[in-house]
Amino acid sequence: MLIVSLMLNGIVLGSILLLSSLGLTLIYGVGRIVNFAHGALFSVGAMMAVWLAGAGLGFGWALALTLVLAAALGVALDWATLSRIRDRPMVDSLLLTFGIAMLTTGILYEAGGRNLQVLVPPPSLAGAVTVLGATLPAYRVFVSVLAIVLAAALLVFLKRSRWGLRVRAANDDGEMAACLGINRNTLMHSVVGVSTALVALSGAAAAPIFNAYATVGDKILILAFMTVILGGLGSLRGAVVAAYVVGMIIVFGEAYTGGQAALLMLFVLVMLMLVYWPRGFFGEGRTE
Amino acid sequence: MKGRTISHAPAGPAPGAGRVTPLGVLAVAAALAGALVPVWTQDAPFVLVMASHAAVAALLAVSLDLLTGNTGLLSFGHAGWFGLGAYACGLAAKGWSAELLLAVPVALVAALLLSAAVGAILVRQVGKAFAILTLAFSQVLYALVFLFSDVTGGEDGLQGIPVPTFFGREIASQEAWYWLLYGTLVAVLAAAFALRRSPLGCAWLGIRENAERAHFVGMHVGRLKLYAYMASAALAALAGALHVLFNGATSPETLHWFESGKVLMYMVLGGVGTIVGPAVGAVVFTLAEETLSSVTDAWLIYFGALFVFIVIVAPGGLFGLAKPAWRRLARRRGEPQ
Repeated sequence: MLIVSLMLNGIVLGSILLLSSLGLTLIYGVGRIVNFAHGALFSVGAMMAVWLAGAGLGFGWALALTLVLAAALGVALDWATLSRIRDRPMVDSLLLTFGIAMLTTGILYEAGGRNLQVLVPPPSLAGAVTVLGATLPAYRVFVSVLAIVLAAALLVFLKRSRWGLRVRAANDDGEMAACLGINRNTLMHSVVGVSTALVALSGAAAAPIFNAYATVGDKILILAFMTVILGGLGSLRGAVVAAYVVGMIIVFGEAYTGGQAALLMLFVLVMLMLVYWPRGFFGEGRTE
Repeated sequence: MKGRTISHAPAGPAPGAGRVTPLGVLAVAAALAGALVPVWTQDAPFVLVMASHAAVAALLAVSLDLLTGNTGLLSFGHAGWFGLGAYACGLAAKGWSAELLLAVPVALVAALLLSAAVGAILVRQVGKAFAILTLAFSQVLYALVFLFSDVTGGEDGLQGIPVPTFFGREIASQEAWYWLLYGTLVAVLAAAFALRRSPLGCAWLGIRENAERAHFVGMHVGRLKLYAYMASAALAALAGALHVLFNGATSPETLHWFESGKVLMYMVLGGVGTIVGPAVGAVVFTLAEETLSSVTDAWLIYFGALFVFIVIVAPGGLFGLAKPAWRRLARRRGEPQ
């Protein structure tokens, strides 16, 4: 039963990673920006949910409001900082998002993020359920379902909507998309908004599991990076598969080798992957 | 050698070498002024300790600039090498010998071996993947400290490192420490400048400017990048080794990504590729942090905001801002800048 239980927990972690890394992939695909601030934004979501719940909002409302506020934050962030360096060398975007990560973490520290904050899930999700003979807290099932539904919604939206068409066009060939009249600047605003909203929501939804503090997103950032590299930089379906692979490796690794060795195993796997399969699971990642 | 073929500089000694130039005089004067710090801080011993920390930070910044300034590769996990050097040297000093000339090379060898292994795969990656993987690698090292916490002390850090000796004599006084650290820094800066003018340095610059063309003229781009990565890792490990011996202890915080961010910031503030710039940036920032942290503990906010501001407004750093003035000066002296 241990195996089943571990696999279920791997799916839970994978789902959280899925929601976090889709945004990372999108920003990379459209803006060619590797967002080092992604982990800090995960922490922002977790802290935001704690604050909103502490302000007397119901759990569901806290999540919903986190989503909306984070989207606004993302658009503001892109407008205020990222859009200023669109035409600069790639290095600048790395440094800039790294600076944003430091700034955000610093703000969260001062806003009470030095201490661990606990977010209690609503009583309706407090019980445990038995899946395939293994017991799992009901809340984890809820988080997985939420993450999968949202990720699926995003993928369908990308496939079917006009916005999704523009995003995919810019993802495939940004210059050509601009020639066809797609405003990359405003498109990027919306992409960063969506990406921030998703990662903040996954932080908020994961807060009852991981708790909330200023650096809770650090580990998620590293895992999400490993995810997008395994899946191939810029490949959406690669990220979907890789998220669950990473989730399984971390959960099984932590269970069998004790804590920190799992990250080492994952890193070795990613290195091997880069040697033999640098374009990710579906061979559609970018290597530029 | 190969580097000469793409170098636009005239062959032979670079302009200015072997002559007394205002810049050379300035450099010597600055080096001497730095060496005299213990004399005028006799009444304020903590200033001297601060200056010693600044010298270590400057070493670390120069080590990152050796990689980024020369080859354009951007490491987001340089604190990993710093911490590796600190732990390797600290463990060697505890378990084997506190002799400086024995313990420090342990850190260098460890860094060289590990960076050769990791770097061989890392340097195949271009730009973004390299940046991501360096960050991930430093996090792996960070995790390893906790995994082997019975050896490394885990959360509490590595403590109880004996007072190191230099040729059998204990280095006890703060002045001796300062001169040791400062002397190392000056030597490293001089070596970095010599390296910049060597064929290897020219080849590195060629790769930074255009790796594809460098490949076309027959350079082993991957191998040269690996050399830069290894040299940079070893120098960062040297800084870490001196840090741990000077402090007598180290903690996992030295490997944290905040530290990597700080090093990046030193370099960006000082100006990437200027060699002296990152060292100056490191000194300015270490002093600012010490001063600021006695007033407020929210230095991450200020530094993060400043970092964002500098990247957007002045990507060349302080030296970048000074460049137009420098050009004018050079033109007046009738030299190519």
